[in-house]
Amino acid sequence: MMKKIGIILLQVGLIYLFLLLAIAIKNILSIPLPATIIGLILLFLALQLKLIKLAWIEQGGRFLMVQLLLFFIPSAVGIVNYDQLLSLDGLWVVLIILTSTAIVLAATGRVVERFGDQK
Amino acid sequence: MIKSIGAILLTVTLYQTIKALAQRYPKLRLNPLILTTISIIILLALFDVPVEQYQQDGRLLTNMIAPATIAFAIPVYKHFHTVKRYLGLLMIGTLIGSTVAILSTLGLALLFSLDDYLLISLLPRSITTPFALEMATEIGGVSALAIVFVIITGLLGVLISPAIFQVLKIDSPIARGMALGMAAHAVGTTRALEYGEEAVTFSTLAMVFAGVITTIFGLTFLPWLINLVL
Repeated sequence: MMKKIGIILLQVGLIYLFLLLAIAIKNILSIPLPATIIGLILLFLALQLKLIKLAWIEQGGRFLMVQLLLFFIPSAVGIVNYDQLLSLDGLWVVLIILTSTAIVLAATGRVVERFGDQK
Repeated sequence: MIKSIGAILLTVTLYQTIKALAQRYPKLRLNPLILTTISIIILLALFDVPVEQYQQDGRLLTNMIAPATIAFAIPVYKHFHTVKRYLGLLMIGTLIGSTVAILSTLGLALLFSLDDYLLISLLPRSITTPFALEMATEIGGVSALAIVFVIITGLLGVLISPAIFQVLKIDSPIARGMALGMAAHAVGTTRALEYGEEAVTFSTLAMVFAGVITTIFGLTFLPWLINLVL
């Protein structure tokens, strides 16, 4: 149990290093992409170029992704400052999300179904 | 320090308890993120703790979002043979999906004359939360609102997807998977499991591609477009 926690902590630390590296690169080269996306690309390249092994980060990565929703709670609690959502505006927001999501499902699904067929 | 440990312990315990309940009783469709958030809001109100204080104490959790986003490179690496083979299809599907998501949301929000801060916080709603949070910050939205809109999108997307697939004859697992990952991010990906392993792979890849593409939109033409219409 302790060993597993240790491994996860170390691996999360290694992934965190990619974030720090991405922030440094972003600042030095002033790339207009968010550091997280630069970090994602760096981690992918490091794996692809065999600079690091999947086993070095796999458990830490799985931990971060499985627990992802937990990390949003402190931010989500901030919703309490927006009671406007309890008014009619809240209903409009839900209606907009419903309609737009239906359009996105339809557009993406149809396009992929159409182009996927030609393979 | 002690308050910070307290805030994190409370959040983790509540979240894991509700998550265990949700897994034990799947029929109740409990959403651990929503229920934990509501419980904490109630507790903070009862004990008269300001929300900002709790957010400050719990920032270790918030700090984990960025490395979690980076970890999305792992599924792309694992499924790289699929990415190589279907790169064109993945790009077309998520480029069109991301464009349609942003433009339809923007158009509808203008139609309903929503307040600017609501409109801007709605724009990242179709992408997975860590990317949406990053994008909301970049374009001047409210992160708490963006998170809630992302969750609502996922839940509604999964709810309406079977009807849309049936009516529009979207039958292949690849198309269904990509539509779910594009329109309903991680919630959609869980649902894609019903259409098989291939659908899950494509759903995951569409989710990561959509996250990156939409965030790049958010940094490039979107601020210009927002300026134009508001």
